[in-house]
Amino acid sequence: MDETPKDQPIIRISGLCKYFDDFEALRDITLDVNRSEVLCLIGPSGSGKSTLLRCLNFLEAYDGGEVYLEGDLIGWRSAREAPRRPLSSEKLRRQRQHIGMVFQQFNLWPHMTALENVAEALMHVKGLSKSEATTKARAALAKVNLSDKEKNYPANLSGGQQQRVAIARAIAMEPSVMLFDEPTSALDPELVGEVLSVMKEMANEGMTMVVVTHEMGFAAHVADRVAFLEEGRLVACSPPSEIFGREPDDPRVRAFLKTYRERNVV
Amino acid sequence: MEFDLFLRYGPALLTGFGVTILCWLVGSFGGLVLGFVLACLYRYGPAPLRWVIYAYVEVIRGTPFMIQLFILYYGGPHFGLLLSPIQAGILSFIVYGSPYFSEIFRSGFNAVPHGQVEAARCVGLSEGRILRRIILPQMLVPITAPLTNFFIILTKETAILSVVTVPELLYETQTMAAETFTFVEPFLVLSLFYWLMVIGTSWVGAKAEARVTRHLRKA
Ligand SMILES: Nc1ncnc2c1ncn2[C@@H]1O[C@H](COP(=O)(O)OP(=O)(O)OP(=O)(O)O)[C@@H](O)[C@H]1O
Ligand SMILES: [Mg+2]
Repeated sequence: MDETPKDQPIIRISGLCKYFDDFEALRDITLDVNRSEVLCLIGPSGSGKSTLLRCLNFLEAYDGGEVYLEGDLIGWRSAREAPRRPLSSEKLRRQRQHIGMVFQQFNLWPHMTALENVAEALMHVKGLSKSEATTKARAALAKVNLSDKEKNYPANLSGGQQQRVAIARAIAMEPSVMLFDEPTSALDPELVGEVLSVMKEMANEGMTMVVVTHEMGFAAHVADRVAFLEEGRLVACSPPSEIFGREPDDPRVRAFLKTYRERNVV
Repeated sequence: MEFDLFLRYGPALLTGFGVTILCWLVGSFGGLVLGFVLACLYRYGPAPLRWVIYAYVEVIRGTPFMIQLFILYYGGPHFGLLLSPIQAGILSFIVYGSPYFSEIFRSGFNAVPHGQVEAARCVGLSEGRILRRIILPQMLVPITAPLTNFFIILTKETAILSVVTVPELLYETQTMAAETFTFVEPFLVLSLFYWLMVIGTSWVGAKAEARVTRHLRKA
């Protein structure tokens, strides 16, 4: 993939539409993500946050509009064909290597140790030898502070540790973008912090991140911009100071944040 | 009991036992492999193929094994399929077992959380690798017990092969009973042999289960 000039957005989403049968899950989303930017997606349940994120790596095939990663159209051969034809699985796999994803439910492979989880794709996608892959996987586990747990199976890791292994599995592939879908929502409150601090560190190191989250503290303090979705539409996208300011312009954003304000989260 | 009978008929019974084991092993593993292929085609194949497999599973599961065996052995020659009793026995065993195996595998596929497959796609693993490295090892967890169970059921289904004169254990036992006018002794031996196969299978199944669930044990 060619490097786009540094000042160009790394992800370009334009006119994105997604239907589930007749149901319009995403309508005409246009949004850019800049290099090294942290973009948080917030919005009510069912507003399409996960769907939007999953369109970015083509886990959901979007129906209209375009998603470009570093100038490369994601998933489809061409945006102009009708009907559109998906890329060959080979090409799609190559695109996905540049996009790391972390799920709410971790989705570690339970029959592999932490180290094996991280090393698997290094060996069988990147084609590294076992010893090279192990070295890289160890480095990734060290980044998420889990060097001492590499031999553990997921069943013998806490939720927070599992999520950090999942992050290590993604960053070991050296993606240019990381997607997070509610990475802390399945965690006990006392485990949320360890995952968020790993994510903060990644942000500080300049990783481009798109984060669906209900952690308004994280969105307020770490995000460069916050996008608010409602009923499949992008209602607002602004720096957190504006979204979380005393009086957001949009009444829908105001209503959504009210419940968080009442709990003193923001 | 007249134990000298066993000296005379021992070799025949042992040969019968050998034939039983041969038919059982080859037939069951053949059915296992065919069942797995059917389950994979059902999962990854196009819709028309799915209907064909669905029909095959329903028809085979819906008819008695003995009828399938008769059709293959006596009906086969009409279609140019001339089989020895043992060949017909093994082939019908494969046909008979495959839909049950394929259903076990199908349920195994469904038991693997889809999120794990998505996670594998996200890091760029190919579908073939995902099947081999992610799905298969994990589906073995819920299906090892039912697979063992079905292997055990099949040990005794081999007895039906005697109706087309496959010289297996029941066939030899009946021969002995008829020639010596004894009944208790031969059938006691017969039971002992089946029981040996069953406990052997259980033992292997238990080992296999311990192996495939290794990662679930709490440290
Ligand atoms: N595979 C699917 N088939 C049909 N409808 C779907 C599917 N996936 C999502 N939807 C619908 O699309 C809408 C958006 O779902 P999505 O999961 O993106 O919401 P979300 O904003 O992530 O919600 P949450 O905060 O609860 O995770 C919902 O109404 C949902 O019911
Ligand atoms: Mg969601």
